[in-house]
Amino acid sequence: MSKEAILEGMDLRKEYGTLCVVKGVSLTVEKGEFISIVGKSGSGKTTLLSLLSGLERSTNGRVILNGKDITAASEDELALFRRENVGFIFQSFNLIPTLSAWENVALPLFPVKMPEEKRRSRALDLLGQMEMEHRVEHLPSALSGGEKQRVAIARALINNPKIVFADEPTGNLDSKTGEAIMDILKNLHADNGMSLLMVTHDAELSKEADRTIRMQDGEVVS
Amino acid sequence: MHFRYLIKELYYRKRRTLTATLGLSIGIALLIIINALSMAYREAARMPLKEIGADITVQRNGDVPEELTGPVFACSAVTIRKQEVDKIRNLKGIQGFGQALLLWVFDPDRFSIVLGINPGDSTGPGVLRNHITEGRFLEKGRSEALVETAFARQFKISAGDMVSVSDKEYPVVGIVDASRTTKIAVASIYLPLREAQKIAAASKQVQKVSPFDPEDVNILFIKADQGATRDVAVAIKHILGKKSNVSTPDSFLKLLGNLFALSDKFSLAASLIAIIIAVLIVFKTMAGNVAERAKEIGVLKTVGWRNRNVVLQLFGESVLQCLVGGVLGLLIALVASFGLGFMEVSIPIPWEMSPTPHFLPGGGDPIFKTLQLPVQIPWKLASFAVLLSIFIGGITGGFLSRHISRIKPSEVLRYE
Repeated sequence: MSKEAILEGMDLRKEYGTLCVVKGVSLTVEKGEFISIVGKSGSGKTTLLSLLSGLERSTNGRVILNGKDITAASEDELALFRRENVGFIFQSFNLIPTLSAWENVALPLFPVKMPEEKRRSRALDLLGQMEMEHRVEHLPSALSGGEKQRVAIARALINNPKIVFADEPTGNLDSKTGEAIMDILKNLHADNGMSLLMVTHDAELSKEADRTIRMQDGEVVS
Repeated sequence: MHFRYLIKELYYRKRRTLTATLGLSIGIALLIIINALSMAYREAARMPLKEIGADITVQRNGDVPEELTGPVFACSAVTIRKQEVDKIRNLKGIQGFGQALLLWVFDPDRFSIVLGINPGDSTGPGVLRNHITEGRFLEKGRSEALVETAFARQFKISAGDMVSVSDKEYPVVGIVDASRTTKIAVASIYLPLREAQKIAAASKQVQKVSPFDPEDVNILFIKADQGATRDVAVAIKHILGKKSNVSTPDSFLKLLGNLFALSDKFSLAASLIAIIIAVLIVFKTMAGNVAERAKEIGVLKTVGWRNRNVVLQLFGESVLQCLVGGVLGLLIALVASFGLGFMEVSIPIPWEMSPTPHFLPGGGDPIFKTLQLPVQIPWKLASFAVLLSIFIGGITGGFLSRHISRIKPSEVLRYE
């Protein structure tokens, strides 16, 4: 692993029965780097993101994340590792419908023993950065798509992650809101030096990244 | 476990929470009500004997008197020998013991039912001392009489008068209102047992039908340990033989013929069915809950919740939901038992225990002890029901946790 690398995937392969979705992909993300993975639907980009983030186990290959080999880690070890090192942003936000905006942001900290006020304070601070101070007590059902994604971004940042994985973060948003969300992600990357690995099928969005990886039929083509 | 999250899940998913909670509460309420009713009928069946201070009464059936003149025995209460009484008195499980002698006395001018009692007995007609309306109760060693209110009214007898029984005069020391108190062992005139025994022993009619010694009796009142009543009854039947007539709360229950009163097995089966249905409702609702929330559980695991964090959270939801269901069920049962407490139950008194000859006016009429059903929910039953609810919640939560542990975040989040 290189000195600057935050994430390294080596010869990653994922098979579902006879179907090979990711075919021996190797990839390195350096600290503070913003990488986009592009490709058509079914090209294996989301599976690759799942393998790199420890959400899914590879059939073959190794993943080293923040200096730790997570290939053979148990489910619980992976969960703990994700809580401490990784943030996730999804296309459909994946907010908990029964929790308010600030509670959704604080969700990763619920199993952590700490005063509730501290959790709330940290969540409110992040929602403030997302210009969502006026919506902290609202349920997801009362938020617009853009607001939901802001809450989801704040949730991804609650644990000061070393790297954020974003899977089609603007996929469910109109173009204007999508641009605003991209601006937030770019600013976070620029201001905090946070590594960002974004999956998208939008070639225009991928231009915002430091580096773009193109996938086709489970392989990196450029 | 995060309590705020837990409460919000239950609050915002109202339909699911209400289905599981109400389903369980109805099951728990049925469990409590069925058992409370069963206990109430049992308690009601104890009443005819309880009000005479006994758990068991013992008589022996014999022959009908040849002539209805002078003192005779009712055919349902003939001699119980002193030796038999002594054997019974020494049986294991007996707490209290009373004996009496019932006579029908056909005097030339009137008929009277005479009951010879031991004034000192706390078991049996001795309890009538609390129902004196005039004068005083009998005192040990004195040759005196106590007269029942209705008889006193009919023959204009007051305390201080004399009453004649089989040609012997007794001073009336008090008037007792027995008929409102008990349906068993109600007599017209109460005499000390020793006096009644002398009358019986001297009666040719009695001796012809059932040989009688001055220390024999014909009715026993027994107070037994709660759990020993059945065994004592069996032992008495063994001592007195086939013609014995042993009345227990169980025999009154049989006469009641009510489904709740018939058997413990019915109550148990009905309770089990109620609980099984409630458990199935809870399981179905909670299983649907897990299926519905698979994506949510995937999100929790993705953002760093370990398996046990998720399991504990859902376990807490299940237990709290079932606890609320249990408490609600208890409240429903309390309201229902209050309503059921207004129900009246009429307990038939067997003809053998009726002291009035069937050939006299009113003698053949069926006698009932009517009382309000004593429905109560003992704290043990209430605690059991609530603990059972928590247990069901725990079992359901535990069962679901197996499914939860199989959920992989990548699988449920993949197809957005």
